[in-house]
Amino acid sequence: MPEDVLLDDDFLRQLMNVGEVDILVGVPSHNNAKTIARTMEAIESSFQRNFWRERGVIVNVDAGSRDGTAQLAMEAHAAPRDGERGLNSLRTVHRIATHHGNGAFPGAAFRTIMAAADLARAKACAIISPDSGNVTSESVANLLHPIHRDGFDFVAPLYRRSRFDGLLARNVLYPFYRAAFGYGIRELHSGEFGFSGRLAAVCLAEDGGRDALRAWPEGWIATSAVSSQMRCCQAFLGARPPAPAVSGTDVVAAIRGAIDGLFCLLESRQSLWMPRTTAEPVQALGPDHDIAPDSPRINRKRILDMFRSGVSELRPVLQSILAPQTLAEIERLAPEADPQFRFPDEVWVKSLYELAGSYHRSVISRDHMIQAFVPLYRGRIYSFLLRHQESSAEEIEADSESLCLAFERLKPYLLDRWTAKS
Amino acid sequence: MAENSDAQWYKDAIIYQLHVRTFHDSSGDGIGDFPGVTQKLDYLKDLGVNAIWLLPFFPSPLRDDGYDIADYTSVHPNYGTLADFQALLAAAHERGIRIIIEMVLNHTSDQHPWFQEARSSRDNPKRDWYVWSDSDLRYRGVRIIFLDTEISNWAWDPISKSYYWHRFFSHQPDLNYDNPAVLEAMWGIMKFWLSTGVDGFRLDAAPYLIEREGTSCENLPETHAIIRELRNRLDREYPGRMLLAEANQWPADVSAYFGQSDEFHMAFHFPLMPRMFMAVRLEDRKPIIEILEQTPQIPESCQWCIFLRNHDELTLEMVTDVERDYMYDEYAKDKTMRLNLGIRRRLAPMMENDRRRIELLNCLLMSMPGTPIIYYGDEIGMGDNVYLGDRNGVRTPMQWSGGWNAGFSIADPERLYSPLISNPLYGYQAINVESQKRSQHSLLSWMKRIIQVRKSSRVFGRGSIEFLRPSNHRVLAYIRQLGEEKILIVNNLSNSAQAVELDLRNHKGSIPIEMWSRNLFPRVGELPYLLTMGPYESFWFRLRRI
Amino acid sequence: MKDMIVQGLAQSYQQVVRTFAELLPRLAVMVIIIIIGFVIALLLKRIFRWILSLTKLDRLSEQSGASHALRSAALPSTTEFLSRVLFWIVWVGFILLGISALGIAQWQEQISHIFQLLPQILIAILILFVGLLAANFFSRAVLLASVNAGFRSPRLWSACVRFVIWILAISMALEQIGLARRTVTTAFSIVFGALMLALAIAFGLGGKELARQTLERYLGDKRREREKEEEPSPL
Repeated sequence: MPEDVLLDDDFLRQLMNVGEVDILVGVPSHNNAKTIARTMEAIESSFQRNFWRERGVIVNVDAGSRDGTAQLAMEAHAAPRDGERGLNSLRTVHRIATHHGNGAFPGAAFRTIMAAADLARAKACAIISPDSGNVTSESVANLLHPIHRDGFDFVAPLYRRSRFDGLLARNVLYPFYRAAFGYGIRELHSGEFGFSGRLAAVCLAEDGGRDALRAWPEGWIATSAVSSQMRCCQAFLGARPPAPAVSGTDVVAAIRGAIDGLFCLLESRQSLWMPRTTAEPVQALGPDHDIAPDSPRINRKRILDMFRSGVSELRPVLQSILAPQTLAEIERLAPEADPQFRFPDEVWVKSLYELAGSYHRSVISRDHMIQAFVPLYRGRIYSFLLRHQESSAEEIEADSESLCLAFERLKPYLLDRWTAKS
Repeated sequence: MAENSDAQWYKDAIIYQLHVRTFHDSSGDGIGDFPGVTQKLDYLKDLGVNAIWLLPFFPSPLRDDGYDIADYTSVHPNYGTLADFQALLAAAHERGIRIIIEMVLNHTSDQHPWFQEARSSRDNPKRDWYVWSDSDLRYRGVRIIFLDTEISNWAWDPISKSYYWHRFFSHQPDLNYDNPAVLEAMWGIMKFWLSTGVDGFRLDAAPYLIEREGTSCENLPETHAIIRELRNRLDREYPGRMLLAEANQWPADVSAYFGQSDEFHMAFHFPLMPRMFMAVRLEDRKPIIEILEQTPQIPESCQWCIFLRNHDELTLEMVTDVERDYMYDEYAKDKTMRLNLGIRRRLAPMMENDRRRIELLNCLLMSMPGTPIIYYGDEIGMGDNVYLGDRNGVRTPMQWSGGWNAGFSIADPERLYSPLISNPLYGYQAINVESQKRSQHSLLSWMKRIIQVRKSSRVFGRGSIEFLRPSNHRVLAYIRQLGEEKILIVNNLSNSAQAVELDLRNHKGSIPIEMWSRNLFPRVGELPYLLTMGPYESFWFRLRRI
Repeated sequence: MKDMIVQGLAQSYQQVVRTFAELLPRLAVMVIIIIIGFVIALLLKRIFRWILSLTKLDRLSEQSGASHALRSAALPSTTEFLSRVLFWIVWVGFILLGISALGIAQWQEQISHIFQLLPQILIAILILFVGLLAANFFSRAVLLASVNAGFRSPRLWSACVRFVIWILAISMALEQIGLARRTVTTAFSIVFGALMLALAIAFGLGGKELARQTLERYLGDKRREREKEEEPSPL
């Protein structure tokens, strides 16, 4: 398939047969054999229960799974509703599939799905991730309804999460994005969101930014929506089961992907975020900071140890990324005793802004910068875990809000670091 | 009978459904009559139909369009005499047209002498001919069919001070088939009509003959036993006559009425009808395929009866709730168009007078497995009048010409049993037989042609159906096959042009011959067979190996 | 006696004069060659600098940390450094060419020898430079990876990698100029062993996941439980 052609002939033929649709749900998959069948069934049953009059299609874009995910996706079918003589929806619910070769890059799959949405003239679209593990017909409908019924163009999800879940989003992505772009969208990293056909067309027409789209598709799409004055909202999708605790290398990989995406987006959208000085809330449909009662068991001591060893061992690397004062403050934090340990908001925000500036100027390998940042993230997380062991949802939310305000207050510092020559 | 002399004539029939009152008035009293129908037989022969189903014409208080019969062995004086009926029968048979009449087994009118006797006292010998009870709590949970008018299946009789059972209107008491005398009396009536020469009965309300506590009182084994008995007597004494069941049930339940070829010859396929409308509106073949896949195989000598519209409302009992809501929203937005669980409209107005859609629906009707029924007036695209009460909006006089009373009657317009349709779009000045006969391109001429094409092959009435499933869901394609004869039907259900690739590998080497024009199409090969179709287009191909 | 002395002096004077007369044009030629060489070397330096600035070598070396190393050795930026090296090599080449133009036989032999070595020296410098880049980059990568994986003494691992790459680069450079071939071969066997060790470490880091899975499969559920308790997922 040539680089500039998004859809292969076979997929185009399938699209032609589907024709115009009202609702399109895209499911990017990569080795999801365990969850894909449930996901597809939930989407199909959402079509049957909530959109039975609409013309619908489910598009599976598989990134070359080796566990038969693609096959399972096409075979799983929702059980018919009871007592209706097996007649459950008015229309044929289409299921079409394509694949793209380049491994687990979700951005490529998203582009394919958006192109399909554009060609099929879909009005309301959603991307559902088989990773999330708790897709229900209601959650699919919650993503689609604001677009289909209320005319929104972009719908970010909201979840009820366990308190120590999504810490990177809470401590970096949400406040950073909110301060930079001026829109408080909480969840832009779950692989699930809704968008209108109009927005898909806008995103496809945008040249450049391919790196950013590849690195952080949701951020890119949300930003396209806000930059074209489209309506955005956040919709509650229900509880999200806590992500299983992970090992060190997984943490690095996840942070690398997320931060890289954020900074790529900053680079490709400079004209948009640099002049922006205020932040506005984005309408939330449903509760927006619910916390599930359960908490995963976490080895806190290890996190602290890794922060400490990181700060001392990586000094030369950190020196080239951070300003001397910031580094000095962090070094002062490191040996603090356990119960008093705090990673102050201001130091955290500054170190992130300095990282962004250094990243922008590529003072050393960008990948190395992000890796060197991971120990600092651990320090911040440790401080968070310590402080919010027993906190209520409101306390956590208040804390989160004050972090956001710190990010916003220090935005001139970000501009300063970003535009610095060396 | 010159035509269709074999015993399974009903399989190849094309039935025209009419009410004597609505068709043609020969006497000038404003009400159609038997001589009027007789006069118009040539029109029906020209149209191509070979059977007529006459709606009830018996003496009746006419509170349910004649289904409330007060005397089973006579004709209503409005429509003529028994001799007029016999003349009609003879003239029809002369033209190769068979006559099917109504037989209301389940209930009589409350004006029927039997009921009058039965209610007169509790120990009258006819008392046991109906279903009586001192309490209205027997058979609780049995559904009420006419939801808009009835609140219970029991009605209080003030004369004998007890309740009587009625599944339909309260003026239609149900007969008690647990009493053998009732069956004998009804068989006597059937024999009466069979001996005049009628070719078949449509048995009204077949599932409701017997009541049993704790059941839905529908489709009971005892009911089947009674029908078997009637069929047995019919076959013995009047071979070649036909019984048609009216059982508005799911296909699996209806197919029980075919028994082992020992109950009904034919039965209506109620669930298919709304789904044809639905499929065209949805532009999706799913509803049709789904319901036909749920339809069980029936014995070889039996046949489904299929229809688009009839004298009743377009019934939505045999659809799911979501389907019903959809049908209402799409075809009966105006609440006055709804009645009971259905839509009281004619075909053409439901299709917004779109010739292409009217033709497509007729194509579906004529090519699906079963015997098609054409409701009078639909062959010219007559309109309806939803402001007439009950179902009278679809029972207005037949529009023969643009002249006085649409050529229906010479009476004063005010005397007509029902006002004519007179709006500019569907009124008789615009839509009538006379003007459509003049044009080769009128709906009437098109209907004649499609009936001709259908009659050119027995596959339609007797063949099997096999659905092709091209990935384009807006195209409904199937192969009808009888022996070596194969016909491929491809329908575009959407209002836009469509390309479709058919997998015809099983028919490799065949040449599709378009049945209307006899044009040849390229030979079927190994590759998918590509067709491009215009909006609402239907292709009929005979697949021949030459 | 006096005459002999005078004659000798005259002779030698004449010889000197003759030699000098012979040498003078050659000297002039040498000076011209050196001056032209200077101009050419300067031009080449400029062109080379321009080409390097197009290839964004600076950014690469900055990222790998080589620039940092250069800075700490009080050297200019990579581009400037490389173009200066080129300038000197070219000019020295011309100077040698000029000297050989003097036609002094013993010198000529030496100079042609140096000339043969010249490209090798250039390549050797390049190898050293690339080695510097690689050593910095990989040692830092190992440092970061081992810190984030929670290994003990990450700096040791990092220094090992840097050392191994340096040894490799130096030995390749020496090999290139053809010096100490024997030492190089022995050094190489040592380095090869070290390299294998480095590869093993690298594989260990990269294949940690695989190894973990394999171990898990053998060690059963208990250990898996403990492993999973580590950290909350960031997303």
